[in-house]
Amino acid sequence: MPILKVQSVTKRFGKFVAVDNVSFEAQPGRILGLLGPNGAGKTTSIRMITFITMPDEGEVWYGDSLVSEKSQEIMGYLPEERGLYKKMKVGEQLMYFAELKGMEKVEARERIRYWLDRFGALDWVGKKTNELSKGMQQKIQFIATILHNPSLLILDEPFGGLDPINAELLQDVIMELKDEGRTILFASHRMEQVEQLCDDICLISKGEIIVKGALSDVKRQFGKNTILMDFAGSDTFLDDLESSHRIRVSSRSTRHAEFSLLSGTTPKQVLEVALPQVDNITRFELVEPPMREIFVTAVNEQEKRQSTLSV
Amino acid sequence: MSRNKIFLVAKNEFLKRVKTRWFVVTTLLGPIMLVGFFTVFGIVIASSIDGGPKTISVIDHTGQIASQLEDPDGKLSFDISGSSEEELKQKVLNEDITGYLVLPPGLISGNEAARYYSTEGGGLNVFSSNLTRLVQDVVRVSRLEEQAVSREVYDIITADVSVESIKLSEDGEEQGSSAAYAILGAIMGFLIYITMLVYGSVVMQGVIEEKTSRVVEIIISSVKPFQLLMGKVLGIGAMGLVQMTFWAGLLAAGTMFSGAILSMFVTPGDLDLPTTASQADVLAASGFVIPQVGPEVFVWFVLYFLMGYLLYATLFAGIGSAVEQQQDAQSLMLPVMMPIIISIMFLQAVLEAPNSTLSVVLSLFPFTAPIPMVVRIAMIDVPFWQIALSFSLLVGAFFGAIWVSSRIYRIGILSYGKKPTLKELIRWLKYV
Repeated sequence: MPILKVQSVTKRFGKFVAVDNVSFEAQPGRILGLLGPNGAGKTTSIRMITFITMPDEGEVWYGDSLVSEKSQEIMGYLPEERGLYKKMKVGEQLMYFAELKGMEKVEARERIRYWLDRFGALDWVGKKTNELSKGMQQKIQFIATILHNPSLLILDEPFGGLDPINAELLQDVIMELKDEGRTILFASHRMEQVEQLCDDICLISKGEIIVKGALSDVKRQFGKNTILMDFAGSDTFLDDLESSHRIRVSSRSTRHAEFSLLSGTTPKQVLEVALPQVDNITRFELVEPPMREIFVTAVNEQEKRQSTLSV
Repeated sequence: MSRNKIFLVAKNEFLKRVKTRWFVVTTLLGPIMLVGFFTVFGIVIASSIDGGPKTISVIDHTGQIASQLEDPDGKLSFDISGSSEEELKQKVLNEDITGYLVLPPGLISGNEAARYYSTEGGGLNVFSSNLTRLVQDVVRVSRLEEQAVSREVYDIITADVSVESIKLSEDGEEQGSSAAYAILGAIMGFLIYITMLVYGSVVMQGVIEEKTSRVVEIIISSVKPFQLLMGKVLGIGAMGLVQMTFWAGLLAAGTMFSGAILSMFVTPGDLDLPTTASQADVLAASGFVIPQVGPEVFVWFVLYFLMGYLLYATLFAGIGSAVEQQQDAQSLMLPVMMPIIISIMFLQAVLEAPNSTLSVVLSLFPFTAPIPMVVRIAMIDVPFWQIALSFSLLVGAFFGAIWVSSRIYRIGILSYGKKPTLKELIRWLKYV
């Protein structure tokens, strides 16, 4: 299966640089997480990969050729903003999408049946889209994305609006498609999902890539600076440490806290502050940072860099 | 392959719409309205010819006109009963008599007007014009008599002066009512006007719907925006063509039908025709002339009809892509609508003088051409170079419109939020 290569791509809208000299690769059989704050340039990048828009500079390769109408036929794109023809029937709609991707009617019909059945949606074939619930429409849209057997899948927030059962079903299908050797681009703001699904990540902010690589490498690179702590008693030590800028708390509840150590703070120092205040400590573990932490740190650092540059 | 995708989009647009209730209803209701129109038309003609003998009471203050009133056709008779105006008014309201005529003393000198009172008011029917003519005749004679002018002079003055219109064409002389050709031209012009507006806005609405439902992003990850635009315009055009063809067939049938309706109300005897007269004769005698037109008129009509639709539907699609709601489209539509409005505004002028400089210019300028040109083709023999030039310009304008619209379209369908100004649209044209 072909490799997707985005090479030094820049896209401007008027004076605004939406994507600035971005390069990354996506490998077959792996899931690449495309992350970034809102307005970072993810959608613009995706549109260039899907040949909806063209880069001003740089090139996007899929396999041995530049992306084109031809490569569109082996790509499946699930946009973040969902939409189906409201008054068309589910079956007709899927058939239309499949035909636009160059599929033959007979084969398309077979695959529509297979996937509707897989998602427990075979009864909906004759229903109009506006009679379906949001979750149902979501499933139909996912089917439309994979119907034509694409070797590259681009999924933008595929789990939005799904209940846990359907989310699990969808996750199984995505893993299955990955195991079949397809390349999957996964854009999401849900960091737990990114952590669960992605093999590689690419974090974009303000049109630039700020973190890139295999998920495990990225985590290692950020080092073990996160502490998971279970305790009993007062949690005011967290406020003390945070107000003196020695830690940053990423999540806390009455008996659990997760925080990162800032600027040379050692685990020992944290324990010294905590011990006199808490009744007991049942867990104190130094771990690799969660994806959420990496995201926040990287984006903040970029901002700091840029503000010092501009001064 | 790309043409194939345009075809797929067009097929989907066509089928999607043809299957809707809206399509079935408008297609079927169209002819019902058409038949209704012809029925009303038939009744109006019939009732204005019909009427039978009528008696009108007269109050004559001049004392010299009433006695001379006489209808040579014998359809109107006058009753100089001497009843008072009050009594007659009551009789009219009770429908004992149709109406009464008051001839004031100043009528002969021209200082006052004769008045006819009835429950129907005036109206544009044959009856009231007959009455006017009769009164006019008598008053004129009276005026001349007062000046001691002999009756012969009057006869000379009022002798028929008629001008016959004969249409000259390459094929020779053709006698016929030029009004009928003008009506045909006007009908064709209006049809084009309506199609450009109605089907054009169907296209625009489709584009807006596709954009606001966000389905467009999926489609253009499979199809070029240009293919989507063209497929849409062609698919909806095909739907319009089906509808129009269906109606045209019924119109042909309807023309015959209107004769049948007319003959239910008018017996040939009323028109001094033998009872064996055909429907065409009845129509002809009642002033309804079916003009003889060559097939080339219809060929050009269809061509201008199609190109007019294509040109404007393409432009409307471009506008639709830039907005998210129909209302927002208004201000952007104005510059596009302007030429259509101008061409319909000057329709009257073109009908009156199909060979004037104004008419020629309007029918050459591509954005106004469709309507004035078919009107002219229907009415007169337009020089071939004019048709050729006009049509080439129209085709050129269509390709220009495709270029402009597809550039706006590919940016517009992915732009949400603030509605763009005309200036921004022009900037979109320059994007790669």
